[in-house]
Amino acid sequence: MATVKLTNVKKIYQGKVTAVHDFNLDIADKEFVVFVGPSGCGKSTTLRMVAGLEDISEGTVEIDGVVVNDLQPRDRGVSMVFQNYALYPHLTVYENMAFPLRLQKHPRMSNDEIYERVTSAAKILGITQYLTRKPKALSGGQRQRVAIGRAMVRDSKVFLMDEPLSNLDAKLRNQMRAEIILLRKKIDTTFIYVTHDQTEAMTLGDRIVIMKDGFIMQVGTPAEVFDTPDNLFVAEFIGAPKMNTFKCELLREGDKYFVAPFGAKIEVDGEKGKLLREKDVVPGEIILGVRPEHVAIASRPGPTAIPTTILVNEMMGFEYHLHVLTEDGTELIVRVPTLNLNDEERAKLVAGEPLYITFEGKAMHFFDVESEYNLIYHEEQPVEGEEIIEDAE
Amino acid sequence: MARKPSMGLKASRAIGNTFGHILLVLISIIWIAPFVFIVLQSLRVETTAQVGYLLPKKIGFDNFMFLFSPDCNFMTWYFNTFIISLAVAVLQTIMILMMAYTLSRFRFKSRKALMNIMLILGMFPGFLTMVVLYQVLKLLNLTQGNAVGGLILVSVASSGMGYYVCKGFFDTIPKSLDEAARVDGATRFQVFYKIIMPLAKPIIIYTILTAFMGPWGDFIFARYIAFGEPSGYNVAVGLWSWLTQDQINNHYTHFCAGGVLVAVPVIVLFMFLQKYYVEGVTGGAVKG
Repeated sequence: MATVKLTNVKKIYQGKVTAVHDFNLDIADKEFVVFVGPSGCGKSTTLRMVAGLEDISEGTVEIDGVVVNDLQPRDRGVSMVFQNYALYPHLTVYENMAFPLRLQKHPRMSNDEIYERVTSAAKILGITQYLTRKPKALSGGQRQRVAIGRAMVRDSKVFLMDEPLSNLDAKLRNQMRAEIILLRKKIDTTFIYVTHDQTEAMTLGDRIVIMKDGFIMQVGTPAEVFDTPDNLFVAEFIGAPKMNTFKCELLREGDKYFVAPFGAKIEVDGEKGKLLREKDVVPGEIILGVRPEHVAIASRPGPTAIPTTILVNEMMGFEYHLHVLTEDGTELIVRVPTLNLNDEERAKLVAGEPLYITFEGKAMHFFDVESEYNLIYHEEQPVEGEEIIEDAE
Repeated sequence: MARKPSMGLKASRAIGNTFGHILLVLISIIWIAPFVFIVLQSLRVETTAQVGYLLPKKIGFDNFMFLFSPDCNFMTWYFNTFIISLAVAVLQTIMILMMAYTLSRFRFKSRKALMNIMLILGMFPGFLTMVVLYQVLKLLNLTQGNAVGGLILVSVASSGMGYYVCKGFFDTIPKSLDEAARVDGATRFQVFYKIIMPLAKPIIIYTILTAFMGPWGDFIFARYIAFGEPSGYNVAVGLWSWLTQDQINNHYTHFCAGGVLVAVPVIVLFMFLQKYYVEGVTGGAVKG
């Protein structure tokens, strides 16, 4: 249980390549923070700097108020779960889990206490029957449980997980994800979790840190990053299937804003219209973002309807993912729940069929063409690297 | 209807096997002949001189008894060699393992340069340094009667350069094991002996065996450093001294008996460690 604070943390490899730029983040006690981003965005590097496995080129990392930059990993009070499990192949599951306890010196742990802790962790993880086995004789999911068990037997201040589920198959991944949520309640400590999977980030994190090319793109709760993405990258990265984004004209007529995508004209209503007015957003060319679930099928041609042709229909069971092509060749994705469709309607949703779609005005996102920032939600930062000033007070 | 092949797969395989085995048997005979010869000679008791026939006329252990007799230096030589080999096996293994682990895991300035220098130095035959080494050892008073210490020093001092095979093996052990152990609370040294060493068992055995074998069969250095002082000879130099013009007819069969005894520890070692030895040589490739 501890706070973690990263201040202007930088990672520069061999004085040349900067993998992480000015990383600033305050992690509260018992918070579950997820670093998410595409590969090469610096999320693992940042985690490894917290763990002490990478040198910190600039800036400071504090755990529980203590600067740990120059501390060895063993002195930082962190536990870590690795992507490839990193179980010691020559030790049994029991010995793997007892390993960190046997190394503890202050105070040295008795065998009884080690047994107590290992068995209780094994019970929580449901691996009691495998304690005498070697890792070789376990399946991927069981190995991952052992790895988690090894990290959890200690009372570590911070629990670090580096893509722990990405070596598992999809089904097992879903199951383990749910287990991690339950586990988190039992362990009740500070978590930093690294993943490239936005679903994991959304379902696990109290807060999500979205990274790209070594920069933090946005920090926020799952709802925040989903509903109010700060920029185009976050908007496209969070949510599956990804948000439809395309250039489009934003018009203003008196008090009302309109967008004019693909020849249609759709009013921006609801909260979004109000916010545009409040911000007094200048009309002109913008990038419009519409999530696939906010694209509706229009029953007939009209001023708000966009004519498209169905390119691919992906049957997901509870919904269709329609990839449609507009007349100017832009590909959009539409989510259509299958629940309310009759056979006749379903028969029309096949490749090559025409389809009229429209967008829900109240759920649109607007981004600047140049900076790609969200025109409504992006707050100007004072100066790069100084956004923590108010937090420090 | 398909034409039946003139020779079935089975038949052609059988012929191939037969030829293969005949060839192997021939090679084996050529390979084993010297060993059989030396064993037979060591058991010959009618004369200690060289003879023109292969099978001894009288068989006994007299030659071996001579080697163990008090007026023979053989046991001194044998003991010298054993001490040297044992010390070198232990020290050299430690040096090589630590060197290989360091070069495999740590990243430090001029690491690449160091490895390149060692590679180039390793290309020169070791005995090029003989003259200089002799002078150095003479200054340290580690020649002639004290040759055992000198030979240990010479072997161990350069042992770090033999890290290649071992490093190759360490490179195949995932780095994340080291990292996990370090996060779990292990020091670098604990990572080395609690995690890496148990996983590197085959390569450790391999390193011990090769380290032991080097000085066990050493001749050039041993002869040079211990010259003229039989108490500092190792077994190879000692036995060779029996093959000079004036000694050969007195000691030829003793030489053969000594040769047989020299082979004994090596055979025993290999018998016990053969499994690991093969694993060690092939382990890196399979694991990688």
